[in-house]
Amino acid sequence: MENDSRRKFLGVCLAGATVAAAAAAGYPVIRYLAPKSGKVGTDKLVFATSDIPDGEAKFFEYAGTSAVLVKTNAGALLALSAVCTHMGCIVQWEKDKQDFLCPCHAGHYSPEGEVLSGPPPKPLAKIPFTVADGKITVG
Amino acid sequence: MLSKRLYDWIDLRIGAREIVKKELTGYLLPKKINEWYSLGSVLMVIFGLQIATGMLLMVYYVPDPEKAFKSITFIMNEVPYGWLIRLCHAVGSNMMVAVLLLHMFSVLMMGSYKSPRELNWLTGFILFCLIQGISLTGYLAPWSQLSFWATTVATNSAAAIPVIGPYLVEFMRGGKLVGPPTLGRFFALHVAVLPAVIAALVGAHLFLLKRTGISTPPSGVQQSRNPWPVESYRYESHPGGIPFFPNYALQDLTSISVYFAVFLAVVFFAPNFLFTPDAFVPANPFQTPAHIKPEWYFLANYQTLKIFPSELLGLSVQVAAMTLLALLPFLDRSPERNPLKRPLFLVCSIGGILIWIGLTIWGHYS
Repeated sequence: MENDSRRKFLGVCLAGATVAAAAAAGYPVIRYLAPKSGKVGTDKLVFATSDIPDGEAKFFEYAGTSAVLVKTNAGALLALSAVCTHMGCIVQWEKDKQDFLCPCHAGHYSPEGEVLSGPPPKPLAKIPFTVADGKITVG
Repeated sequence: MLSKRLYDWIDLRIGAREIVKKELTGYLLPKKINEWYSLGSVLMVIFGLQIATGMLLMVYYVPDPEKAFKSITFIMNEVPYGWLIRLCHAVGSNMMVAVLLLHMFSVLMMGSYKSPRELNWLTGFILFCLIQGISLTGYLAPWSQLSFWATTVATNSAAAIPVIGPYLVEFMRGGKLVGPPTLGRFFALHVAVLPAVIAALVGAHLFLLKRTGISTPPSGVQQSRNPWPVESYRYESHPGGIPFFPNYALQDLTSISVYFAVFLAVVFFAPNFLFTPDAFVPANPFQTPAHIKPEWYFLANYQTLKIFPSELLGLSVQVAAMTLLALLPFLDRSPERNPLKRPLFLVCSIGGILIWIGLTIWGHYS
């Protein structure tokens, strides 16, 4: 009986040591492979208003993902995420139709990011921006 | 119990109990087996660790002369625990050569290479050469001054071979000098060709070990002369011996733990032990640093080339020594395995080892 409990105790110690060793080896590997955390590209971005003529769009990288600034023919300025809410493809600006098309599954969005047709379940996310002294500040 | 039911389920399908009995608990080893026999297991663990850390390094390493050094710097300074992965790989490669030398030393001293284990020795010897090759090709990867010029010196040694030497050097380098083509071919050899060949040879080495059985240590136990009729196959069984599992597996585990203690001590407390200041400067093909040397395990070869009046003579001596070592079991055919009863062998082998150590030290300080 005493032998049995001693054996069990040693077994538990061995299992504990194995788990500790696996954790000690696994943690650095997970940290090594993990994507960079923290504020990636969330700095404010500044564009000149002249960079975006009426009816055109400017795509850029923001907060580690794709975003777009669009100025409609009517002169309205909007900042949106360029990532389609359906499968994550990047939407394209159709200047002639004044809308966004996702080429993957033909989702259509209005310049405001609202879904017009196709499979996207949600509108494009809006990104905060300010306009002052001829400059557009995104973020 | 769930674990027993799971084991039963697996056993029914693959015959796990039979495999465990045959390969582990019923696999008997000589009673007086010693700790030197566990060095092969230590080497397997090192090789596995080299593969794992090598794969991890490939996530961030870029094999391009413009980017290689920067990517290593990035791994060391920016990637979380990148320094640990990289140092484990760099220190591990040196440890692998060192442990391999110890393994060969024990096999030599215990006469385990003798008939019918000639092929075990030969595959082991080829593995030793391949491990040196994989270390040499990996040494260039960081594209530092040290790696660039050490590779220049090491590859240049082949120029001493008559007629084809200069062409061979150019072929190895992919050009007249070490340069971008060298990195490309060394990288391919280092991460694809050599690991595959080494893994295959390790498989062959283990197959031979399983087929012939573990050799009995020459000392410790009342030794009966082993009248091996090599004309027909016989497995060297050890009736009444100790089972591999759990008895010797524990010795393996102990040796592996001792290895890790030494290995991690170097990684954590003396990480720069292997690096000279030239390892921290990117390669500059127009500026040779002073006193550049190949890796420590090539120092004896390097020094031999220097001390002979002609490089060809120096190279011939090395080729002769390596050939002698490779073919040792075919030349040394006496069945006696106790080193104390083999005075000529003992004098020659200890003398050879001392010469090798002496040349290495001389090479280091020359």
